[in-house]
Amino acid sequence: MPVDIANYISLSTVIFFIGVIGVVTRRNPLIVLMSIELMFNAANLAIVAFSKLWGNNAGHIFVFLVVTVAAAEAAIGLAIVVQVFRRAKHVDLDEVAGLRG
Amino acid sequence: MNLAFAMTAASPALLSIWLLPLVGAIVIWTLGPQLRRNAGYLGSAFVLVSFALALANFGAAGNATGLRAPLVTWGPGFAFGLQLDALSLLWTLVITGVGGLIHIYSIGYMWTDRAIARFFAYLNFFVFSMLTLVLADNVVGLLVGWGLVGLASYFLIGFWFYKPTAVAAARKAFVINVFGDIGIMFAIFACYAATGSIAFSDIFAKAGTFSEPLVLAICIGLFIGAMAKSAQVPLHTWLPDAMEGPTPVSALIHAATMVTAGVYLIARFAPLWNLSPTAQEMVAVVGAITMVTGAILGMAQWDIKRILACSTMSQIGYMIMGVGVGAYQAGVLHFFTHAFFKAQLFLGAGLIIHALGDEQDVRKMGGLYRKMPFTFAAMLTGTLAIIGFPFFSGFYSKDAIIYEALEHGHPILFFAGALTAGITAYYMFRMLFVTFFGSYRGDVPDAMLAIAPPVPGAYAAHDDGHVEHAPTWLMQAPVAVLMVPTVIAGYLTIGGESSPWYRYFGTLFGHGGNVAGVPLAIPEWASTIFVLVLVTLGIVVAYLRYGNPPALIGAVDRLRGEALKMPPVLAHAFYVDALIATAIVRPANALGGAISRYVDPHVIDAGVRDVAWVAGMLGALFRALQTGLVRAYALTIVVGAACFIAYFAYLGTAR
Amino acid sequence: MIAALVVVPILAGLALYLVPRSAEHLAKWIAVAIAFGAFALAISQYGAPDESLRWLSRPFAANFHVGLGKGPSFWIVLLLTLSTGCALMVTRVPRARDFIAQMLVLLGAMTGVFIARDLLLFALFWDLMLIPVFITLVAWSPTKSNATAWKYLVYNLVGGLALLLATAAYGIVQGTTDVIGVDPKSLATISDTWALWICLGFGFAFFIKTPVWPLHTWMPDTYADLPAPMVAIVSAVQSKAGLYGFIVIGLALFPGVMHAIAPVAFVLGLIALVYGALAALVQDDIKRVVAYSSLSHLGLIILAIFSFSPIAIGGAVVYIVAHGLFSAGLFMTVGEIELREDTRLLSRLGGLGGRNPKLAGGLTIVALAALGLPGLCGFAGEILILTGLYRAGFVWQTVVALVPVVIAAAYMLRVFQGVMHGPEHDDLPEREDLSLLEGLALAPLVIAIVLLGINPGPVTHLDTFTRSVAAASAQSTLAILKK
Repeated sequence: MPVDIANYISLSTVIFFIGVIGVVTRRNPLIVLMSIELMFNAANLAIVAFSKLWGNNAGHIFVFLVVTVAAAEAAIGLAIVVQVFRRAKHVDLDEVAGLRG
Repeated sequence: MNLAFAMTAASPALLSIWLLPLVGAIVIWTLGPQLRRNAGYLGSAFVLVSFALALANFGAAGNATGLRAPLVTWGPGFAFGLQLDALSLLWTLVITGVGGLIHIYSIGYMWTDRAIARFFAYLNFFVFSMLTLVLADNVVGLLVGWGLVGLASYFLIGFWFYKPTAVAAARKAFVINVFGDIGIMFAIFACYAATGSIAFSDIFAKAGTFSEPLVLAICIGLFIGAMAKSAQVPLHTWLPDAMEGPTPVSALIHAATMVTAGVYLIARFAPLWNLSPTAQEMVAVVGAITMVTGAILGMAQWDIKRILACSTMSQIGYMIMGVGVGAYQAGVLHFFTHAFFKAQLFLGAGLIIHALGDEQDVRKMGGLYRKMPFTFAAMLTGTLAIIGFPFFSGFYSKDAIIYEALEHGHPILFFAGALTAGITAYYMFRMLFVTFFGSYRGDVPDAMLAIAPPVPGAYAAHDDGHVEHAPTWLMQAPVAVLMVPTVIAGYLTIGGESSPWYRYFGTLFGHGGNVAGVPLAIPEWASTIFVLVLVTLGIVVAYLRYGNPPALIGAVDRLRGEALKMPPVLAHAFYVDALIATAIVRPANALGGAISRYVDPHVIDAGVRDVAWVAGMLGALFRALQTGLVRAYALTIVVGAACFIAYFAYLGTAR
Repeated sequence: MIAALVVVPILAGLALYLVPRSAEHLAKWIAVAIAFGAFALAISQYGAPDESLRWLSRPFAANFHVGLGKGPSFWIVLLLTLSTGCALMVTRVPRARDFIAQMLVLLGAMTGVFIARDLLLFALFWDLMLIPVFITLVAWSPTKSNATAWKYLVYNLVGGLALLLATAAYGIVQGTTDVIGVDPKSLATISDTWALWICLGFGFAFFIKTPVWPLHTWMPDTYADLPAPMVAIVSAVQSKAGLYGFIVIGLALFPGVMHAIAPVAFVLGLIALVYGALAALVQDDIKRVVAYSSLSHLGLIILAIFSFSPIAIGGAVVYIVAHGLFSAGLFMTVGEIELREDTRLLSRLGGLGGRNPKLAGGLTIVALAALGLPGLCGFAGEILILTGLYRAGFVWQTVVALVPVVIAAAYMLRVFQGVMHGPEHDDLPEREDLSLLEGLALAPLVIAIVLLGINPGPVTHLDTFTRSVAAASAQSTLAILKK
C-alpha cells in the first residue's frame, strides 16, 4: 500500500524543525552539529519522497551528494570545534564571538 | 623578428667612417681600467683612421649622389641611411681631422687624470654622434645625431662630476638643447605629414609643393633647434657655462664642431630656406643679434675660456647670418676657418691653463710671452685669424659674409657685421695684451710653469713629490699642425666664383635668398677697407687701454677695480638666465609643487575620501548586526526563511 | 604550449610554498628559470596558432582561448617575461620565498591578460593580477598601515567590476565573448546604446588601470610602497593592461564609441602628460618621480590610441614596450640604490657616481631612454606617436605634447645627477658597486632598450591582429567623416 506523500513531508518537517530548534537554542557545538545533521536528513527524506512521487531518479543521486556534503561538513565542523577548544579551553558557542563587528 | 641591419648596397667605406669612432668608444669603455693612458692613443687612432677614410673618399663624395648606405626601415616612410655628399664630407673632415688633433692634445692634457679612459670613451662617442648628425640622409637620423651630440656634450661638460658647477652647467646645456630638439621634432612632423617620408631627398623633391606658411613653420622649427645647439640669442646662456668642461672639450665640441651644427642644419635645408624669404630674414637677424651680443659680452669677461666662448657665440652668429642671407658658401667657409683658428685658440688657452695650475683668470696672468713663446705664437696667429687680419683665414670668410650681407640687400646687417669685427679685434687683443704682456701677476713659481699640475682626481704624485707630466710635444704638435690651416684655409676662395671652394659646392645650395632690396653700390674692396679700418680701431683702443707701458704698470689694482665698475647688465649677461628662471623654471616648479602638495592630496584624493567616508558610514551601520553570536545568526536565518515561506504561502493563497 | 605561459607560472608560484622557507636561493633560481623559460617559449611561439578550449556555452559562449600572434600580445609578453626574470634575479626582500611565489603568480596572471583572446578570460586574469600585488602591499609594505593596499585594491576592483559587468553584458548581447582579435566584420553589430555602455565600462576599467588623470592617485602610493622587483614589473606591464585593452578591445570592437569619447580622452591624456611631468619635477622620493613620469608617458599613449592614426598606434605599441623596459630598469636601479644607501630621497642622496660607476652607467641609460634620448627606445616610440598625431591632424595637441619632452629631460637629469653627481656625501654608507649578478640582471634590459631604439620596425609591424584594429579605425574614421 503506497503511503501518502503528505506523511513523508509532515515527518520531514517535524524532523527539520527539531533540528532548527536545536541549532538556535543549544550552546554546545556538538549538539548544534547533530541538529544540523537532523536538518540534512529531513531534507533527504523530502527529496527521496518527491523522487518516488515523480518516478525520477535524480532525487536519489542528490541524496548521495547531500550525504557526502554532510559528512564533509561534520568533519570540518568537528575540526573547528577541536581548534576552538584548544584555543579557548571551552566550547561555549556564545563565548566564541571573535568575529563580532 | 628581423632585428638585423639590412645592409644592401651599403658603401663599406662610409660605414667604416661612421662606425670606427663608435667601436673605439665601446672598446675604450669596456677595457678602460686596463688601458689607462693607452686609451688616448687608441681613441686618436680610431678617429684618425676615420679621417683617412673620409679623405680617401673625397672624390667619390663630390659627385652628384655621393656615397650611400641604407641602414634600417621602421615602417612606411621611415627609412634610415647614411649619405656622404659635398656638405657632409666637409663636416666629416673637420670632425675627424680637427677631432683627431684634439684627441692627441688631450692625451697630454688629461695625462694625470684618473678617469682618462672614460674621457676618451666620451670623446670618441662624441665623434661618432657628430658623424651620425652630418651623415644621416634623413631628418630623424639627423635628430638622433643631434640628440647624441647633446648627450656627449653633457657628459663632457660634467666630466668632473664632483664639481657642482660642472654638474649644473651640464644639466643646463642638456635641457636647453632638448628644447631645441623639440623644434626639430616639430619640423619632422610637418615634413612627414606633407611628404610621407623623412628622407632629405623626398622632402626637397616635394618642397616646391609646400605652402608658404608650411615652409615657414618647418623653418622656424628647425631654427629653434639650430638656435639651441649653436647658442643663438636667447638660447645662448649654456655656452659660457659649458666652459666648466676640460679645455679640449671646449675646443672640439663647444668651438669647432658641435656648436656649428646649426649652420650645417640650415645649409642642409637650403632648398627649404630658399623658398621662404621671411625665414631667411629671421635667421639672418637672429644671427646678427647673436654676433653683436657675443662680442659685447666678450668685452666684459675675465675668464680666458669665457672670453673665447663669447667669441665663439659671436662667430657662429656670423655663420648663421651668412647662411641666413643666402651666402651659404661664405657661411660654411667661416665654419671651416673658424674650426681651425678657434680650436687653436682654445688649445693655446689650454696650454696656458695647464701651465698655470688650472688658472683661468687673465688678471692673474700677464707677461707670459717670454715664458711660453710657442703658446704666444699660437694665440697670436689664432687672434689674427679671428679678427680677420688680412691674409689670415678668418679675413676671407668673415669679409665674404659681411660683403654678401650687403650684396643680398641687408645694409643694417652689413654695418652690424663690420662693427662686430671691430669689437672682436678689441676684446681679442685685450685678452692677448693682458695675458702675455706686462708682468706676471699670478702666484705659480717660475720653476713650476709649463709642468703639468696635479688636477683634481689625478694619479697621486710620486712619493718624492715629483709630479708626472706628459711630454710637451704631445700638446704642442697638434697646435702647430693647426697653425697651418689657420693661416691658409682662406686661400681656397681666392678667385671668387671660380675658386676651388665655390666649384666644390657647385649648385648644392641652389639659388635664392636674393632679397630684392637695392644694394648699396659699393664694390667689395671698399667694404673690406671699411671693415679693416674698424678692426684697426679696435686694436688701437685695446692697445691704449691694456697694451701700452703706462697701462701695464699697476695693472693688478686697475683690473680689479675695472671688474667692480662693470655695468650690471653686462655682468649678468643681459639677465637672460634670470629671465628664463623667472619665466619658465620657477613657475614650472611652483606648479609641480602645487600639484604634489595641494591638488593630488587635497583635491583629487578628497573626492575619493568622500566616497570612502560614505562607504565607512554604511559599514558602521551594518557592523551592528555582526554580533558574533552563532545562535543569533542561526535565528536570523530562521526568521528569514520564515519570511520567505510566509511570502510564498501568501502568493499561493492569493492565486 | 601558449597556455603553459599562464599555467606554469601560477602553479609553480603556488608550489613554491612547498620549498622550505630557508631555501630562498633555490626558490629564486627556480623562479628565474621559469621566467626566462617563459621568455624562450614565447619567442618560439612567435606567430603560432591560437589555442582554444570550450569553457561555457550558456548564457553565452566563452572559451579558454589564448594566442600570441605577432602583434602587441607577443611583444608585451616578451617584455613581461624578460623584466620579471631580470627583477627576480636581484630580489632581496625579507621572506623572499613567499615574495617570489607572489611574483610568479603575478607573472602568470599578467601573461593571461595579454594572451587571452576571450573577454571573459581577459576579465578573469584582470582581477587575478590584482591579488598578488595586494598581498604584497599588505605583507611587504614599509609602513604599518595598509592604506596603500586598500587604495590600490579598491580603485582597481571598481575598475574590475566595471570590466566584468561590461563583459557579461557584451556576452549576452553578442552571444559570445570569444572576440579579441577576430575580424570585426565577422561580428554582428550591436546597438549603439549597448555599445556605448559596454565600451564605457571597459574604458572606465582601462582608465583606472593606466591610470589616466584624475584617477591616478593610487599609483604614486602603490609604486612607492611596493618592493623594487615587483614595482618594476607592475609599472612595466600591469599599467599597460589598460592601454592594451584600448587597442585590442576598444578600437577593434567599439570604434564608433571610441571616436565619440576621443575628445574627452584627448583632454585627459593631455592633462596627464603635463600634470605628471610637472609633478615629477618636484618629488623628493625617486620612486614617486618615476611614478609621475609614468603618468605623463602613458598620457602620450592615450593620445596615440585616440588619434586613430595607424602610425601613432604602431608607435603606441613601441612605446608600451619601451616604457616597460625603461621603467623596469629605473625601478630596479632605484632598488639597488635604496639597498645601498637605505634611502631613496633625492635630498639625502648624492655623489654615488664616483664609487659606483656601473650603477651610474645603468641608471644613465635607463634615465636617458626615459627622457627620450634619440637613438634609444623611448625616442622611437615618441617620434612615431607624435608623427602619427600630427599627420592625423592634431597639430596643436602635438605641440602641447612636445612640452613634457623638455620637462622630462629636466626631471630625469635631476634624478640622475642628484643621485650620482656632486660631491660625495659623508653621511651615506659606502657600499660596493653593482655585483656581477646585478649587472647581468640589468644588461638584458639595457640591450633591449638599445635594440628597440635602433629598430622598432618589427614591433610596429602590423600583423593580422593589429591590422584588423587598423582597419576598424580607418573604417570608423570614414564613418565619422560621412556623418
